[in-house]
Amino acid sequence: MNIALINGSPKGGATNSGFLLEKLRPLLPQEAAISTYRIGPKALKNEQYLELLAMDMLVLAFPLYFDAIPSHLLRMLTEMERSTQSSNQRPQTVRVYAMINNGFFEGDQCKLAVELIRNWCERCGFMFGTAFGHGAGEMFGSVGHVPVGSGPLKNLGLALEHLVGSIRSGESTEPFFTQPNFPRGLWKLSSTQLFWNATAKKNSLKPKDLRRRPGMPPIRLPQSGGKRQDV
Amino acid sequence: MKMIVHDLENAGELPWLTAFGSGQDVIGIDNAVIRHCTGCFGCWTRTPGTCVLKDEYRHLGARLAACDEMVLISRCTYGGYSPFVCNVLNRMLPYVLPYFRMLKGQMHHQLRYEQTVKFNVYFYGEDLTANERQTAQELVQANSLNLGAKGFEVSFYDNIRQLKEVLS
Ligand SMILES: Cc1cc2nc3c(=O)[nH]c(=O)nc-3n(C[C@H](O)[C@H](O)[C@H](O)COP(=O)(O)O)c2cc1C
Repeated sequence: MNIALINGSPKGGATNSGFLLEKLRPLLPQEAAISTYRIGPKALKNEQYLELLAMDMLVLAFPLYFDAIPSHLLRMLTEMERSTQSSNQRPQTVRVYAMINNGFFEGDQCKLAVELIRNWCERCGFMFGTAFGHGAGEMFGSVGHVPVGSGPLKNLGLALEHLVGSIRSGESTEPFFTQPNFPRGLWKLSSTQLFWNATAKKNSLKPKDLRRRPGMPPIRLPQSGGKRQDV
Repeated sequence: MKMIVHDLENAGELPWLTAFGSGQDVIGIDNAVIRHCTGCFGCWTRTPGTCVLKDEYRHLGARLAACDEMVLISRCTYGGYSPFVCNVLNRMLPYVLPYFRMLKGQMHHQLRYEQTVKFNVYFYGEDLTANERQTAQELVQANSLNLGAKGFEVSFYDNIRQLKEVLS
C-alpha cells in the first residue's frame, strides 16, 4: 500500500498542515510505504505527478484560504488532472483523503473546500475517501506537547480516528468537522492578544497600526481606446 | 469604480471586454506575473494593509477599497475559481483585518475599510456538473460574507460567447 502525505501549506518553517500529517503518520497501517511531498508556490516536476498517480492513496493536508483551496495547491490539482488525461494508466484506484485546517474557530467553514476536493476527484476519476476540517488551526503550534485525544486536542483525536477508519476499511464516508475543546470566546481573545497584537509588537507596531487604511496606489486604468490613464 | 478580475486569454483581442473594462480597475491573466500568497500574514502584522511580496499585486486591498463592485470572470474549476482568479483573491487578504467578529453565528473578519463592495461572479465552462454549480454558488456566498460584501450575484455560462452577449 503506497500512501503519499502531501503538505499543501505555502508557509516556510512549521505549518499546521505539517502538524496534522505528523499526528496522522503513526496511526497509518504499518505495512504502508509512505512518501512525503511539499506543495509550495513552486510547481511539482512532471515525474512527481506520475509518482502521485501511481499511489494507492493521497492524503492532502492544507490550510483554508478564502473558504477554499489555496491558489498554489489548486494549480497543482489542475496540473494533476491534466496528467490523468495524458497518462495511459487508468487511476481508478487512487483514493483521496483531506485534512483541512482553518483560522476561524468553526471547522465546518472547511465544508466547501471538501466539496472542491470531491469535485476534483470526480474529474480525475479518483475515489474520494473522506476528509475532516478542524478550526482554530493556528493553535496547534502552542499545544504540540498535548497528547492527541486529550485536552484541546480531544476532538482532533476523533477527526484522525475518522480518517484512519476510512483508510483502513477502504470505504468512503462523509466528512467530519470539528474544533478544539475550548470556548470560542477564548480563541477570539487569545488570537487577538497572543497572536496578532504580540506579532505586531515584535514588528515594532501598536495594535492600532494594524488597522491602518492605505489609500489607493497610483495605478493606470484602461480607457476604451485600449490606452491606460493615470489616476 | 469596479474591480474586474478575469482569466480570459488574449484579452486585448476582445473588444467587448475592453469596452466593459473601460475606466475600471481590470486585472487579467495576461497582466504582470502574479506570485502566490505564502501565508506569512505580513499584510496584517508587518505592513498592515499591503502585501509584502514585491510584485504588482501588493496593493489589492487598497485597490478594492476604492471600488464599489468586484466582478470576477472565471472558468469554473471544480466548483470554484480558476487558479489565476483564486490567486488574485488570495492576495486580497490585506483588504480585511486579522481581528474576528461574529456574523450569523460564525467567526469572520473585521473590516479594515468602511466601504463595502457588491460581488458579481460570472462562471463559464462547458460541462459543469450539478455539484460544481452548487459548490460555486455557495462559495461566492461564503466569500461575500467573509469580505463583508453588501450583496452578491452568481451566474453560469457555457462559453465565452454567451458571456460576451451578457456583458456587451
Ligand atoms: C490568504 C489567506 C486566506 C485565509 N482564509 C481563511 C478563511 O477563509 N477562513 C479561515 O477560517 N481561515 C483562513 N485563513 C487562515 C488559515 O487557514 C490558517 O491560518 C491555517 O491555520 C494555516 O495553516 P498552515 O499552517 O497549514 O498553512 C486564511 C489565511 C490566509 C493566509
